[in-house]
Amino acid sequence: MGPFIPQGLINPELSLFFAFVIGLGFGYVLEQAGFSNSTKLAGVFYGYDFVVLRVFFTAAVTAAVGLLLFDYMGWVEYDLMYINPTFLKSAIVGGVIMGFGFILGGYCPGTSVAGAVIGKIDAMFYLVGILAGIFFFGTFYETFKPLYTADDLGDIVVYDSLGMNRDLFMFIFGLIALTSFVVTKKIEDKVNGITPPYKGLFHPSYNLPFFLLIALITLNLVLPGQPRSKWYETPATTLLDEAASGKYYVGFDEVAYKMLHEGENDLLLVDVRGADDFSRFSLPGAVNVPLKEILGTRAERLIQKSDKKVVLYSYSSSDADQAWMLLRRAGFRNIHVLKDGLNGFYGQLFDEKPVTDNEMASVAFETRFRERAAKAFKTGEAAEKTVSKGIPVTTIVDIIPPKAGKGGC
Amino acid sequence: MEQKPKAYMNPYLAGFLLGLVLLASFVITGRGLGASGAAKSVVIETVGSISPEYAKNNHFYASYFETGDDRPMRNWLVYLTLGAIAGAFFSGFMSGRVGFKIDKGPRISNAARLAFAVAGGFLFGLGSQFGRGCTSGAALSGMAMLSSAGFITTMAIFGTGYAIAYFFRKLWIN
Repeated sequence: MGPFIPQGLINPELSLFFAFVIGLGFGYVLEQAGFSNSTKLAGVFYGYDFVVLRVFFTAAVTAAVGLLLFDYMGWVEYDLMYINPTFLKSAIVGGVIMGFGFILGGYCPGTSVAGAVIGKIDAMFYLVGILAGIFFFGTFYETFKPLYTADDLGDIVVYDSLGMNRDLFMFIFGLIALTSFVVTKKIEDKVNGITPPYKGLFHPSYNLPFFLLIALITLNLVLPGQPRSKWYETPATTLLDEAASGKYYVGFDEVAYKMLHEGENDLLLVDVRGADDFSRFSLPGAVNVPLKEILGTRAERLIQKSDKKVVLYSYSSSDADQAWMLLRRAGFRNIHVLKDGLNGFYGQLFDEKPVTDNEMASVAFETRFRERAAKAFKTGEAAEKTVSKGIPVTTIVDIIPPKAGKGGC
Repeated sequence: MEQKPKAYMNPYLAGFLLGLVLLASFVITGRGLGASGAAKSVVIETVGSISPEYAKNNHFYASYFETGDDRPMRNWLVYLTLGAIAGAFFSGFMSGRVGFKIDKGPRISNAARLAFAVAGGFLFGLGSQFGRGCTSGAALSGMAMLSSAGFITTMAIFGTGYAIAYFFRKLWIN
């Protein structure tokens, strides 16, 4: 499901709107937390107010646990997430400089925005300083560049750096956060000369949230490694039912009829044989996606974009059946298979004995239709009718009917 | 009529909500929050419009002007910050906290506070470039993604803060 924008699931035009909405929440929470007040922020360094640590750690742990659980549920593709690259020296130097900036200025950039908009003059001056600092960096970029780009360790994650299992790290990270909440509260009370009105480590009202956090990080730790199927994947039991019912097969008559009547052609024919076979001959209008590429991005785009009924075919139906299974598993709908494959198709087309029982009108119609279809395909009418669709087509006129008839895979 | 400002939100609740906002940002955009990015866009755009020639010849700026229509001001982080401005103002307004004011420790003058604020902003702006993001973008979002950079930057910021806090105590405490 997520992330939406990198996967193109949200109109790019709307992405800036979402940026604004997320920003609303960001600014609102910062201000509500008291981050618009520099004396409150600086308190974290002097022990009189640890609000920064509480908000900061809670937010980081909440988002981190949330991401891991979303990943487990298959709701986000962790691989598509942006991971801040680690440039070791630059990160440390930058952090140290920012540490000085925090003590001197009392804000960080996000909090200074929250402060400035509600009239904090010191925050406004701080913002001017930020712009000057970035300009300074830009002006002397060539001087800073060697340090800025040194020690590129890539998109590394902390649990790998520590040689630790991801979920174990998350568990420890959560416990460290909880411990820091308890310890800093004690320090804060001491600095401010307050005697807590409760006994124990923390106020009893925090029992539930703290317990929830421990429960979540424990759950994340003990959940089996293999995640459940992704949200878009079709469950195996559904697939089994569909496969057993055989309803996903499309017969010769439908395919041939629609190939001859372009106005009614709602089929996207996908040839899953190898490219060599496809170039020798294929059905008119068919697109070649070899079986081994069926889960590739090209196939995905082709099928996703098409509002037609997708009909897979191969010589017999076995490769097409496999392709059907893979595509259905990957969550694609409206996927079908040409019954009995190309061999069956040509068998019906060229070998069908005319039915003489004229009493059955429908059968007779079918017979006439097949005769007409056989004639049309031989003279290339179908190719002419379907070639205008702009899809690379190998005309059926070039086809040498398979010698062995059926089973020629 | 002078109204008493409302109390701040419980920090754990605020942190939880901030975590949800961050999570939403990850799920929607694949990346976290940021604040210094918008400031960077402002600097780049300003320099670019005052002196396009200079911007073209400086590698820091030039890379942002190479692609024609992808102007720095139109990017994600700028709109995020515009949202943050509106959200913070709404919050402050609803809680009766809007008004010109200088927050400072009890022992320094207003002028000194403002001078240190500019200096602090300057350092944070500079540091955020080396750190490839500030407390929001590099530290908070980085930690949420469990990236090494996030933890290194966070420890560097707060470690430095604690290491030097004593020497600058006059700015903040008695």
